[in-house]
Amino acid sequence: MKYLLSLILLFSLNQNAVSQSYYTENGTAVFHSRVPLHTFSGTSEHLTGMINLEENILDFYLDLETLETGIGKRDRDMRETLETEEYPFAEFYGELQSDFDSTTTEEQPVRAVGNFTIHGVENEIEVEGTLQMTDEGLLLKAGWILLLADYDIEPPSLLFVKVDQEQEIEIEALLKPEDD
Amino acid sequence: MYQKKTVLFAILILITPQLLLAQMERKRAVEDGPVEDIFLAASIVGMSTVTNLPHKNLNTTVMHNFGLISGGVDDFFGLDVGATVRLGIDYGLTDKLDIGIGRTSQENNVDVRLKYLVLQQLQSDKVPVQIALKANVGVNTQKENRFDFTFQERLNYLGSVMIARKFTDQFSLQITPMISHFNTTVIEVENEEQNHTLFAVGLGTRYKWNNRNALAFEYLPVLGNRNSGTTNHAALSLEIDTGGHVFQIFLMSGQWFTEQHLLARTNTDITDLDFRIGFNINRLFSLGD
Repeated sequence: MKYLLSLILLFSLNQNAVSQSYYTENGTAVFHSRVPLHTFSGTSEHLTGMINLEENILDFYLDLETLETGIGKRDRDMRETLETEEYPFAEFYGELQSDFDSTTTEEQPVRAVGNFTIHGVENEIEVEGTLQMTDEGLLLKAGWILLLADYDIEPPSLLFVKVDQEQEIEIEALLKPEDD
Repeated sequence: MYQKKTVLFAILILITPQLLLAQMERKRAVEDGPVEDIFLAASIVGMSTVTNLPHKNLNTTVMHNFGLISGGVDDFFGLDVGATVRLGIDYGLTDKLDIGIGRTSQENNVDVRLKYLVLQQLQSDKVPVQIALKANVGVNTQKENRFDFTFQERLNYLGSVMIARKFTDQFSLQITPMISHFNTTVIEVENEEQNHTLFAVGLGTRYKWNNRNALAFEYLPVLGNRNSGTTNHAALSLEIDTGGHVFQIFLMSGQWFTEQHLLARTNTDITDLDFRIGFNINRLFSLGD
C-alpha cells in the first residue's frame, strides 16, 4: 500500500511536469537583411518550438526552406547560400536563465542561453525577449543579431553588392499547453 | 519480488519526463517540394521556358540583338547595324499563371502572352517533368504604306506546350511543340512559299556549372512546310545570375524574340556560322506585401 501511494505521488508530480510544457508548430520567424540603399525581409510561419517551464528548457527549430522573401528567385538564392539541402534546419536549444511567473498575465522580460545551429555550425548565444501567459497559451517574443561569418555563411551578392554580415532575427510564437 | 517490480516501475516513471525533455525530433515542414530553377529565366534567348513567376512577382526584360557578325570590322561585327529590341514586363497573377506584354522594335510588334504552369516537377520524382502552356498574340502596329491592313490582318499567334526536366542540379532539358499562325502573309517574289501556319518542336537545354553561371542553348526546327528562304533558329547563351538580375549574353541566328517570328522570319543559317551578338537583362521585383 505504501508503495502504491508513492507511485501515485510520483505519477502526479510527473503529470505536473508535463503540463508545464508548451508547444507550437506555427510560430513566426523573420530575418531582416540589408544591402546599401535596400533592405529586405524573409518570413516563415513554420517555427516549431517547445518551452518547458518546469525544467526551464527551450527547444526551437525552423525548416529553412519555408522562409520566403517575396521574390521566388531570391528565395532560391537564399536556400543555395544556406545549403538547405544539407542543413535544412536552424535550431536553438537552451535554458531559460531568468525567472518567469506563470501565474500572472503580464509580459515579462526573459533571457535564454543555449546553442544556436545553422548551416551546420553551432554557437552558444544569449537571447533576450519576453514571455507572457495568455488565455490561449504562452506568448514568446525574442530577437537577436546573427553574424553570417560566425556560421560560415558567405554573404550572397545582389548585383555586385554583398548582403550585410549582420542579420536581424525576430521570432514570435504562441505556444499552447501540450495537454491540449 | 513485488517490491522490486514496483521500484523499477517508479524509476521508469521518474525518468520519463527527462526523456520527454530531450530535443524534439526535427521534421521537415515541406517533405516534397517542387524542383526549382529548371531554367534561370523565363526564356533562354527567344524561346520561353517552363520557369514561371511566383504570385505578385514582376519581371522586366530588355532583349537586344545586333546585326550579323559576318559584317566584320566594317560593321564592328554587327554592333553598328540597327538593333532589334524587345522591352517586356511579365507578372505572376498567381503562382501558376503569368501574364506579360512586350514591344519589339521590328514591325513595332506588340505582343501579349499568358503562361500557365500545368505540372511541377517534384523532388521526389513523383512528378518527373514540368509542363507549362503558353499563348502569345502579337499585333504588327507598324505604319504600312503599301497596304491598308485591318487590325485582324495584323495579328500573329503562338501556342506551345513546354515539357522540361531538370535531370541534375546542372543539367536541364526542354522540348516545346509549338504552332504559330499569321493572319496575313505577303508574297514578295513570285513562287515564294509563305505559310500562315507553321509547326515546330523547340529544344532547349542548360548546363549550370556553378551557382551563378550557366550555358544555355535553344534550337527551333520548323517541321513540315516552311517559308521560302527561312532556316531554323538557334542560339547559344551565357547566363549570369546576380541575385535580382539574370543577364544573358548570346549568339543567335534569328532576329526576333517572339517564337512565331523566329519560326517564320529566321533567314540566317547556323551552319554558315553566322550569328548576331545580343543580350537580355531580366530584373525581378516583388510587388507583394
